[in-house]
Amino acid sequence: MFSDTTTVWVLWPEIALAALAVWIYVGNALFRPKPNTQTRLGWTTFAAAAVAFAGFALYWHQGGAVWRQSLVLEGHGPLAIDYFAYAMRTVALLAGFLLVLQASRAGENELVSEYLGTLLLAIVGVMLTASANELIFLFLGLEMLSIPTYVLLFLGRRDGATAEATIKYFFLSVASSAMLLYGFGFLYGMAGSTSLTEIRAALETSSAADGGLMTMAPLALILVFAGLGFRIAAAPFHFYAPDVYQGATHANASLLSILPKIAGVVVFVRLVGVTMPALGDFAWQLAIVLSILTMTIGNVSALWQTNLRRLMAYSSIAHSGYMLIGLAVALAASPAEAATGGLSSVILYLFVYVFATLGAFAAFTYLGAKDREVNRIDELAGVAKTRPVAAAIIAVCMFSLSGIPPLAGFWGKLALFGNAIRLATNTESATLQWWFIVLAVVGVLNAAVAAAYYLRIVGVMYFRTADTALPSQGGWGAWSAAAAAAAMVLAVGVLPGRLFDNAQRAELAVKGIALPEGLSQADAPTSLAK
Amino acid sequence: MATAFLPVFLFVLAGLATSLGMLSMGWAFGPARKGRVKEMPYESGMDPIHDARRRFDVRFHLVAIAFVLFDVELLFLYPWAVANRHPEGIDAAVAKAGALNVDYSRMLVFGEVMVFLAILALGFVYVWRKGVFQWR
Repeated sequence: MFSDTTTVWVLWPEIALAALAVWIYVGNALFRPKPNTQTRLGWTTFAAAAVAFAGFALYWHQGGAVWRQSLVLEGHGPLAIDYFAYAMRTVALLAGFLLVLQASRAGENELVSEYLGTLLLAIVGVMLTASANELIFLFLGLEMLSIPTYVLLFLGRRDGATAEATIKYFFLSVASSAMLLYGFGFLYGMAGSTSLTEIRAALETSSAADGGLMTMAPLALILVFAGLGFRIAAAPFHFYAPDVYQGATHANASLLSILPKIAGVVVFVRLVGVTMPALGDFAWQLAIVLSILTMTIGNVSALWQTNLRRLMAYSSIAHSGYMLIGLAVALAASPAEAATGGLSSVILYLFVYVFATLGAFAAFTYLGAKDREVNRIDELAGVAKTRPVAAAIIAVCMFSLSGIPPLAGFWGKLALFGNAIRLATNTESATLQWWFIVLAVVGVLNAAVAAAYYLRIVGVMYFRTADTALPSQGGWGAWSAAAAAAAMVLAVGVLPGRLFDNAQRAELAVKGIALPEGLSQADAPTSLAK
Repeated sequence: MATAFLPVFLFVLAGLATSLGMLSMGWAFGPARKGRVKEMPYESGMDPIHDARRRFDVRFHLVAIAFVLFDVELLFLYPWAVANRHPEGIDAAVAKAGALNVDYSRMLVFGEVMVFLAILALGFVYVWRKGVFQWR
């Protein structure tokens, strides 16, 4: 495995984005401008332009090639250059663009370049994780995400609550990284290679033969679940989320509920869903148990929250539980080589979740001010009168998160529950039928419970009157980020076909299945195809 | 067998002799002043046992960060320098990559190290412009 010239060539959008992030740090230090609103606006524009540039570069350079699956890089270093990696890099850049806009007034003026540069580096971390096909590269990508996250949490606000939240997140994140590394160590010990393709081959040949070293595989799976469960806030590794979200600013809480979630789900799909289905029954049973636990704990605890960010933290936990349904389907479906819809429903749900959450948080950021954030749900009373557009954006995002039909969240939940039920009805095995019917029923019940607290927020905004108006000084950036995310949620809700196609293509790509007739087009030679 | 472990034995002896020698020379020749501050376990001008939230001089922190900057540089450059001329180093890796028909060369390795040095240099510029090296 060599990181050869092709690796550098493929990763150039990431490299360019990291270089621009470094320039934000150094450029601001070199010129030492007066820390005022003007310089802040300048650097925010620069950072947003950098993310947009990386996005266009990625699209122009690799979009066509990965779409046609004409870009095959067998044996070319630690990268997986497929449509799944491309789609996840694009989602990271889209979400990153909105996160930069949202932070246009968050934090302090004199630290704006540090905040923006670190944010760009965190986005690069997610993108690297998405294209990794090798354990070391994967781990480095995840660390490139977590280390900037610690700094960003600290830069949000200067008080005891923020410091406490950051320290909590830091220590637990370090511990989870250690567990993940331990799991990687077992995988390497069993397969003798850090390449995910070779690990998958080793697991498959050995499960056919007798156990030996491979009896360690369930242990590796448990450790990987522990490490990644922290990233996506899945039970029983979810307990940090409410405290950390509450201590962070709205901008940072949205970052925490989006970037680690994308990275964690990406690694779950590639490392567990694609590499380890040979583990058999144990893998999907673990996924089902964690899924049921996570969504139930998240939704039930969210019911009696009064703090807005705490509620959103439990909501983020619950959505991780839903996404694990798709993973369980992918692990239980046979044959493992076929595209069974499990992974594509996870990808679809991730997209839907990311933009609905981002829209809600950006709107909360907009409604607050730097020194007075919207903390309690009651503070949203009467927003529908004073700030009708912001209230409408929040309402759209809340309806989508609870899965009400004309919006994106409905299609996400439909895909997940539908796949679980389809698996149960298509299989011969009574155990599988029973487990997946139970899973789907628990999922639907949870969705009904979740509607209670999402609709409570909408109810407070529309049916209660305010004593005092909210400051609404989050800036145009936060407003436009919220509006763009809500528009995306609406568009996907009305026209979900395109997203379903993309998610299916990503699943085919990540499983290494050739495109069926009709989907593939003539293979045009590209700059990267060897 | 006996000669195989002789270097290890000598290493242990030399280690013991060095540490004991330092301690005894300090005990024999060092000035022995007594006092409350001098007898603290960690003599740095700070009370070592206090609330974790207490503020301490930010200069300690800045020195630590600047140290990490150069420490990491050394940590990475040293293996590169060794691998550069070692028979099983970069040349062997390039030959192996060539056999696999992978685009990998000495120039790429050199370029990667130069990029690393450039990033460190930029970090140096950053801490310099932020005024870390002014001992205020």
